[in-house]
Amino acid sequence: MVGVVRRMNIIREILNLRHGPGAAILPRDITRIHMDFGLRLNNGQMGARKFWKDVLPRLKYWNPAIPMIVNRTPETDTKPIMTLYFRDNTVPAPAKLDETPILSATHGHSKAPAPKPWEKTVTIDMKDVHSEKILRDFMETTGAVQVMPTEQERQDMVEVEERRRKSEIDAEIGRKRREEEKREKRMLAQARSEAAAIKAAAV
Amino acid sequence: MASTSQCLASLARFSLSATSAARPSAVSWIPTFFAPVVATRYASGGGGQKKKTAKKKKTYKTFRSYDLTPMEQMSLCDAMRVLRASEAGYSPISSKYEVAVKLRTQKNGTVIRNRIRLPFPFQTGTRIAVICPEGPLTAEARELGAVEAGEESLFENIRAGNITFNKLICHAESEAALKKANLGKILGPKGLMPSAKTRTITNNLKQTMHDLVGAEEYRERGGVVRMPIAQLSFGPNQLAENVKTFMEHLKNDINELDDQQAKRIEEVVLSTTHGPGLSLNGKFLPTDEKITVHDLEGPM
Repeated sequence: MVGVVRRMNIIREILNLRHGPGAAILPRDITRIHMDFGLRLNNGQMGARKFWKDVLPRLKYWNPAIPMIVNRTPETDTKPIMTLYFRDNTVPAPAKLDETPILSATHGHSKAPAPKPWEKTVTIDMKDVHSEKILRDFMETTGAVQVMPTEQERQDMVEVEERRRKSEIDAEIGRKRREEEKREKRMLAQARSEAAAIKAAAV
Repeated sequence: MASTSQCLASLARFSLSATSAARPSAVSWIPTFFAPVVATRYASGGGGQKKKTAKKKKTYKTFRSYDLTPMEQMSLCDAMRVLRASEAGYSPISSKYEVAVKLRTQKNGTVIRNRIRLPFPFQTGTRIAVICPEGPLTAEARELGAVEAGEESLFENIRAGNITFNKLICHAESEAALKKANLGKILGPKGLMPSAKTRTITNNLKQTMHDLVGAEEYRERGGVVRMPIAQLSFGPNQLAENVKTFMEHLKNDINELDDQQAKRIEEVVLSTTHGPGLSLNGKFLPTDEKITVHDLEGPM
């Protein structure tokens, strides 16, 4: 197993899961979130994908009870859309639902379900939109409250950033050394093969 | 008959060795003023400056164990919250919770290897093939749900490379035929070779097949036992039940070993297919009072 300190450094980076773009507590009237976009990036789907990769984990961390379903489709010509389901307080909702919930999938069959009678939906078009703009739209539509890091967490985040910067420098040094070793090895092998060729020609 | 020169040579050698042996001691049959002046020579080895020997790398008998004080350990629900967040948007059926148990154990000696039936099973698609003599036994095996049964026909299929099963058991009567068939090279790397040790050579087909279906195998590699423990769609209670059962099973395995092979559990780490590995502290409830166990139960 990997050493404790090295693993601890990775675990400290969970701070990035806790704070950053998307760290927000959603109001109680949001029942679920559905995202629909392609497996491939063409047709302006980059923003949607980035939103899923960067923002959705933080939203899920702060709102663990809200289902967030990502439906990725193999077809390329679909329009990336986010559907937000709000509870409509004028219609009473049943206490318990007895149906199988849809799950995140990559086969494209988990389409956004039609809203229940006690729900209303808002869609956000994500085609050709940067993930930051999607987040801004999302925050505006939902009225989510941003979570701010505490003073201690802020200091820790600086430390994590510092470590990341140092590790980049170290990685560069290591990469150069490995490349040098590889180059020497290659030259040695070439010299050897040439020597063998000369020997063979002499015989 | 030896010639005189030969005799002289051997005599000379004798006298030489005698002087060299006598050199350190002051008492000798040669008077000290005849003895050669002994100059210490460094160049041609022997005495003189000692060569620096390369430091021998220390070898350890046990796998390395770490001081866990700097490790931040979490309760099961806290770990689940982080892991579920890192798995947001992935299919909760294909993603799995995994558990890794670090043991304090010797590098050589027996390793823990067993299988367990979890209270909430999640792996499906066990396909069993049975090696047994043709006749009533093949019929019985097929009735019990084996995808393939037989002796020579099955060996032929394995040699041809069309392996349609992922578990292989052997009836005790066919053990000799299996040994003769020389299939270790094909089955060994796939982990399919039946052996008495893994309880896959048996007299009781029904019992073994029942054990194999829905049972998960685990083994110790490099001092760590790793095993998929639950589907991501499971709630905290289901996951806790699976982890608890597994740990008890593992403790039993450890207790069965003799004292010389004693092992000790050092750390339990929970992770998921796409998530980080989080060390568990043995507690269950979440530390954040805004989060309840129920929040972690719903669909992803």
